[in-house]
Amino acid sequence: MKSKRFKLLLILVVLFFSGLLFSLLEGPVPTNLQDLWDFIIHHDETYSTIFVNLRLSRVVLAFLVGASLSLSGAILQGYFQNPMAGPFVVGVSSGASLGAVLSIYLGLNMQVLGFSLQSIFAFASGFILVSFVYLLSQRKGIFKVETLLLTGIAAGALTSALTSFFIFLKSESFEQAVFWLLGSFALSDWNQITTVFPYFLFCFIIAQWLAKDMNLLVLGDDVAQSLGCSVSQVRKIFLTISTLLAASAVSVSGIIGFVGLIVPHWIRILIGPDHRHLFFFSCLAGGIFLIYSDLLARTLLFPTELPIGIITAGIGAPFFIYLLNQRR
Amino acid sequence: MGLEFHKFQKNYESLILLYYTTLFVIKPKGILTNKIFSAKNEALNGEIKMTILEVNNLSAGYEKDHVIRNITFSLKEGEFVSILGRNGSGKSTLIKALQGHLKNVSGKIKIDGQDIISLKPRQLAKKIAYVPQIFNFSFEFGVEEVVLMGRYIHQGRLGSSSSVDLEIIEEVMNLTQISHLKGKRIAHLSGGEQQRVFIARALAQDTPLLFLDEPSSHLDISYQIEIYQILKELQSQKGKTILATEHNINLAIPYSQKLLFLKNGRIHSQGPPEKLITKKNIKSVFKAEVEIRKNLHSMLPEISLNPKLPEIK
Repeated sequence: MKSKRFKLLLILVVLFFSGLLFSLLEGPVPTNLQDLWDFIIHHDETYSTIFVNLRLSRVVLAFLVGASLSLSGAILQGYFQNPMAGPFVVGVSSGASLGAVLSIYLGLNMQVLGFSLQSIFAFASGFILVSFVYLLSQRKGIFKVETLLLTGIAAGALTSALTSFFIFLKSESFEQAVFWLLGSFALSDWNQITTVFPYFLFCFIIAQWLAKDMNLLVLGDDVAQSLGCSVSQVRKIFLTISTLLAASAVSVSGIIGFVGLIVPHWIRILIGPDHRHLFFFSCLAGGIFLIYSDLLARTLLFPTELPIGIITAGIGAPFFIYLLNQRR
Repeated sequence: MGLEFHKFQKNYESLILLYYTTLFVIKPKGILTNKIFSAKNEALNGEIKMTILEVNNLSAGYEKDHVIRNITFSLKEGEFVSILGRNGSGKSTLIKALQGHLKNVSGKIKIDGQDIISLKPRQLAKKIAYVPQIFNFSFEFGVEEVVLMGRYIHQGRLGSSSSVDLEIIEEVMNLTQISHLKGKRIAHLSGGEQQRVFIARALAQDTPLLFLDEPSSHLDISYQIEIYQILKELQSQKGKTILATEHNINLAIPYSQKLLFLKNGRIHSQGPPEKLITKKNIKSVFKAEVEIRKNLHSMLPEISLNPKLPEIK
């Protein structure tokens, strides 16, 4: 396992840096390695805006959003003990998206205690929706995964419809609807990064801190408690941070589906179910997955930019069907 | 020819019966065995030092209603106690309540004189290890990973396994005879193997008390005996105090120093198997008609079912 993890780490690091390089060079203004070299070594100011403000911010944001969504998915999959759980499936993403759009519709552009009202709305509605889905999918304390998936999908469809409704009421713009429902990094800037990063860092540290407890939860609540895990407390914390992660990601990039579903699952197949490593590798791989997805979104129909959700769903949906078949 | 063989078989059977009867009634060998056994029991009783778990007037339930009521009993250090009773009599609930897993609880549970309400889960996990009922676990963890989870409470939150942890899991895996399963996944094991992995995991936790919820359920006869043999070794070699719920009364009798009969959430009776296993008690607790015999090997009582078969004419 150790050598497997080391190999994977090596591959991911190489993928990360090559992804970073491609993303910096690719764009409407043609640039090459020489330009990047000049900028880094000789501090050539001509390309400063393009490299740092436009492209680097975009790569960093894509990485952070991907990492947040994958970590959220890894937590939810452990929480529900089901590889088909994820922020999109259980309804956090669509709930958060609705909250963000609602705050824009109401014209709430305030800051409360340093948090933008938009992300607070996104978090609150994501949390409400996932709690609602969770409550609906249990009967007399018995939890049914099938009901969870179906309720999540139904609730997601309903909130997506509401999201579109508010967008058309307000702006009648198609572009905004596409942004919130299919996701995009076209509007990325460093402000958004400072919005997402603290949430991500905070949640990542807590997840890593409680990773052993998550391992214990897999053995069942009774056994976990007998092994020293404060089950109900730990469960509440995990549900909160997974919602926080997905909501903060959605509030800056819209709904990007399937990342939180396929990346943690794929990592589990590669390195095993130990959450101490699963959380870290899910973040890394999820970030890289979105860097490349964004690269594809930008270049596939150049100069037109595709919503990134099309790319991730294009890869994710077939994978989801494959998972469903595997479970039979 | 066939008829004659049948006759011979019948004679043969009665011969064996005669042999055992002589063995039991006349031969001093039987009496001797009996003596050795009770002497053994006395020796064990002599070793028992003090009360480790004290339960006083415990009532508990999952929601509003109490499932178990007015439970009072105690466990002495190094004792093996079995909880017997019908389905739904509150056996599993009692095991859960004793570990502080239930919220609706009244009464007192003391471990080493300490009230368990005052203990945090991590402190309690150093006192009691718990082996759940096994029902084909399908998770992806490997055997060693699961056994190592027993060591978590002895490690820091972010710490990984030390060489001491690895030595301990090596030892408990040998004790439970699962060393050959290293590298396998839990999902790929049989019920008996999963049960042993979970016992190893509980041992790695290194606690004085070991609670088991129906350790023999879903296991075939050979696995049932194997599990109880392992438990007996743990009791005698490691000095563990063991509390187990059990459906198979005949399996519980030879291994337990004390039985605890539960009926409708209350203690019906408790005491050593020799005193407790009577036709009257079994009828009252289980509503079942049985015969009580003496097991010629252990000299302990044993129940035999009395099935009402339709007569063949």
